[in-house]
Amino acid sequence: MRIEVGSEIEISFTLNGEAKTVSFDPRRSLADVVREDCGQTGTHLGCEHGVCGACTVLVDGAPSRSCLMLGAMADGREITTVEGLATDGVFNHVQQGMWDAMAFQCAFCSPGFIMSTMALLEENPNPTKDEIREELSGNLCRCTGYASIIDGVMAAIDNLGDAQ
Amino acid sequence: MTATDDHVQTSGLGFVGQSVKRVEDEWLLAGEGDFVADRLPEGVAHAAFLRSPFPHATIDKIDTRAAKKLPGVIAVYTGAELNAHANPFLPLIMLPDMYTPLFMPLTEDKVRFVGDPVAIVLAESRYIAEDALELIEVDYTDLEPVATMDQALSPTSPQLWDKADGNVLHDGSKTYGDVDRSFAQADHIITETFNCHRVTNQPMEARGTVVELDPITGHMTITSTSQAPHVVKWAAAAMTVTEKGGKNFVSFLKSKQRRSNFFAAAKAFLKEHKDALKQQDRTGQNQQIKRDRSMLKHQMKMAMGLLAADDYPTVRAGDIGGGFGSKGSVHREEMATIVAAKMTGRSTQWIEDRVENLLDGGQAREERFTMSLAIDNDGTFRGLKCNFDLDYGAYPSFPIGGALTQGMIRVYMPGPYRFPSFKFTSRMLATNKGKQLPYRGPWANETWARERIIDVAAEKLGMDPLELRQRNMYGAEDFPTKMVTGPTLDVTMSCKGTLDRAIEEINGLDLAAMRAAAEARGNKLGVGLASYHEAAPGPPDFLDAITPGNDLLAAEEARATIDVDGKIRMYTSQSPHGQSHATTYSQVVADEFGVPMSDVEIVWGDTDTSQFSFLGTGGSRGGPIGGGVMKYSAREVREQVNDLAAEMLEASKDDVTIIDGNIHVAGVPARGITYAEVAAEAAKRNGVTNGPAFEVVRGYKGHGDGGWSVATHVAVVEVDMGTGLVEIPKYLVVEDCGPIINPKIVDGQVRGGVAQGIGMVLYENLVYNDEGTPQATTYMDYLIPTAMEIPEIDIIHLETHSPGENDFRGVGEGGMIGAPAALTNAVSNALGVQATDMYLPPTTILEMAGVIEPD
Repeated sequence: MRIEVGSEIEISFTLNGEAKTVSFDPRRSLADVVREDCGQTGTHLGCEHGVCGACTVLVDGAPSRSCLMLGAMADGREITTVEGLATDGVFNHVQQGMWDAMAFQCAFCSPGFIMSTMALLEENPNPTKDEIREELSGNLCRCTGYASIIDGVMAAIDNLGDAQ
Repeated sequence: MTATDDHVQTSGLGFVGQSVKRVEDEWLLAGEGDFVADRLPEGVAHAAFLRSPFPHATIDKIDTRAAKKLPGVIAVYTGAELNAHANPFLPLIMLPDMYTPLFMPLTEDKVRFVGDPVAIVLAESRYIAEDALELIEVDYTDLEPVATMDQALSPTSPQLWDKADGNVLHDGSKTYGDVDRSFAQADHIITETFNCHRVTNQPMEARGTVVELDPITGHMTITSTSQAPHVVKWAAAAMTVTEKGGKNFVSFLKSKQRRSNFFAAAKAFLKEHKDALKQQDRTGQNQQIKRDRSMLKHQMKMAMGLLAADDYPTVRAGDIGGGFGSKGSVHREEMATIVAAKMTGRSTQWIEDRVENLLDGGQAREERFTMSLAIDNDGTFRGLKCNFDLDYGAYPSFPIGGALTQGMIRVYMPGPYRFPSFKFTSRMLATNKGKQLPYRGPWANETWARERIIDVAAEKLGMDPLELRQRNMYGAEDFPTKMVTGPTLDVTMSCKGTLDRAIEEINGLDLAAMRAAAEARGNKLGVGLASYHEAAPGPPDFLDAITPGNDLLAAEEARATIDVDGKIRMYTSQSPHGQSHATTYSQVVADEFGVPMSDVEIVWGDTDTSQFSFLGTGGSRGGPIGGGVMKYSAREVREQVNDLAAEMLEASKDDVTIIDGNIHVAGVPARGITYAEVAAEAAKRNGVTNGPAFEVVRGYKGHGDGGWSVATHVAVVEVDMGTGLVEIPKYLVVEDCGPIINPKIVDGQVRGGVAQGIGMVLYENLVYNDEGTPQATTYMDYLIPTAMEIPEIDIIHLETHSPGENDFRGVGEGGMIGAPAALTNAVSNALGVQATDMYLPPTTILEMAGVIEPD
């Protein structure tokens, strides 16, 4: 497909269960499309070069750096961000686990950790602490030293167990 | 989200002291935070900066014509164009024997580091703004860079600032006690030079500013990632004064209202601070003026502009994604964005990216210490000398630059030990690098250098380093006494308690077995320990020892209100950025009022509703000072409520009690009344129909209770002799910050600080090469430790009480202060070689161990 300079691209995708059709400058990142064009600012940009993980969202269930993806790549796909996790204003198991463990401080990195944890627990519902450390090593936190976040994942596992 | 049970008080139990879950998480974990980049006013212009690719060069010509023609570009301003509408950053804290250069939001004639902003573009999107940057043509003439402290000291190096003495901005010394005699009489003098590398604060959210202009009134509202919004407000107001002083002065004189307001305020200020003003040392200021008289002219213009203004900007801070000191400064880009918004009349946002943040978001700690310890055969410390060099980078940070950092390092250097004499000699050196600013525990390096020389001395004299500390550290029997540098030490300086406990814990480890197991793996095991004390907030004479008469810097006020509907609203001047103030202050205030936490609202981050504060959030002040004024102001309102309720209940004042918001005569809870009823009665009597029915403003003036926060850190490390990698099988913090408001929040602060300390020693290094080119401009090069690198960190809390009414002590910085020293002491112990560099990557460790040859 050839795109003229200054032209816009139109895509349709599902964002947190809601069908969206948006037009935008085709070079915009998925993070900017979600945050600015769709107004869902829960996803954060920490480094914009794929290292810090704050912008992690689920694309068809897989954790993805939304700063490194073009918005256009979301066409026809299902995107889940931190805003899509609570039900009727009640936190899901991961959010609740992080709250219980007082996992975060400034919490700027929290959307990325929460989405990475969603993906981790989907794949491995009972990880060890070492597995959690390794899986979450793609997300940076500058405030906590990570212990409380790992406790938050453990609490999320307990919450899931309680719910089942 | 609904509040959970732990935000509702169970009768008789207070919230203070409990790990109540965070109030902030109700919005933060939902993705409903209010961070600066989330604020996108309709039609906002996006700013981007053209930055110098050279460390040191003159700007010969800038051509912005092509950039201006790009569709979607709103404006392009060069340094000369923008600075014509701005005033310079002026030094606020001036040190004797120091010259602080004046500087502008954008540079006009000469770039001084890679990243120096030379032009600003405003466009319809950040994408277009960055396209336009590429169309700006700048002709530079390269100058020889000044990339290291030694180059800065060389008389043949080019000068960064015309009015300075070479590149030495400060060269001074201060002596306490008879240091010459101490050194002449001591049995040994142990001397070593220690080097600290450049690192950067790196909050996960970079800096940002959103300037909104009211289309009708022109009133400016600035949303800023600022730790100190009031300073941004006054800087924005002063630095955008464009009229010459005379015109503003006439306008001021013509207004009777303005005149009387000013003279009343000035009179009150002078009266209140009479003693402090007398104590101030004006040597630094006089020397500064002598070197650069233009400061007076700028001061006059800004002062007249402020006097003549009818409207000042509102600065608000929503949620902030960390700061660690870097967001306590007012930044050049922020001022440039504000000036550009004014020039175009467009609401404008600047959201910094990570590369910019690594270039100039704040850098710290590149310092060199030559330490000389005078010590007797029996291990008694006789005196200490320190020659301190600070790599200041290119531009001063505003308002807290090297002067305050130097003062803190000087005052803290002797630490919790008995030193009869001390001499501190310091230099601050301008180099072509990003600016130096405070980083969490700005005096951490001082602890590192002191705790290193103690270990070096112990080895040279064949003594146990732990016993050497025990012998020389102040203990309970010494108090009250004074540090050799001035500040009073009282019972809260309980460092010895943490040291003794840490040694007990070390003795409880089977180090011999751990060492044998490590050696069986071909590794080496070591243990290291470090102790420190920090003013949190410190005794009344603490700030005087650093900068006499300036305790106004630490002053803070809070406003406590009960609105006519009974809602308790507390207005703080703090600007939290991860410290959980909404939770801890709600705990303190709910206890004072005897209500559930959900009945209390903590309001922060708005200069229109909070009292002026110079420091905002920083310096471990949030608990003791910010929390202290919460408590005092709430207590006073509670007394007013109590008195009115007594009338309403027809009871004696002493018989009124409040539990779970039920205001009643003790023992008769069924006949109680509510805050809403008392507020309604107060409103009726005062003729108030909305807003506060009760209102009290109370201050903490820097002189108060509280005291010292202390800790001893222990690190056990296992060094892999094949790879040079360091594992930390045991890390322990024994700390005493007095009574704790929320234990989990305190533990989080301690662990987070230790993680930054570990990062600084083992992973993080903001390298510049010898030509002044930064080598770490992404997170692929600047290594923030991940969950894989940070070990389990054990914490033991001791709790010493002071006689003061407000006994909370700050804890935010401590983790960072103790960790580098404990860790490098442990690595030195493991290798049997004393580390003289703080940065210990695998190559350095293998060189120290003799496994590989040095470069």
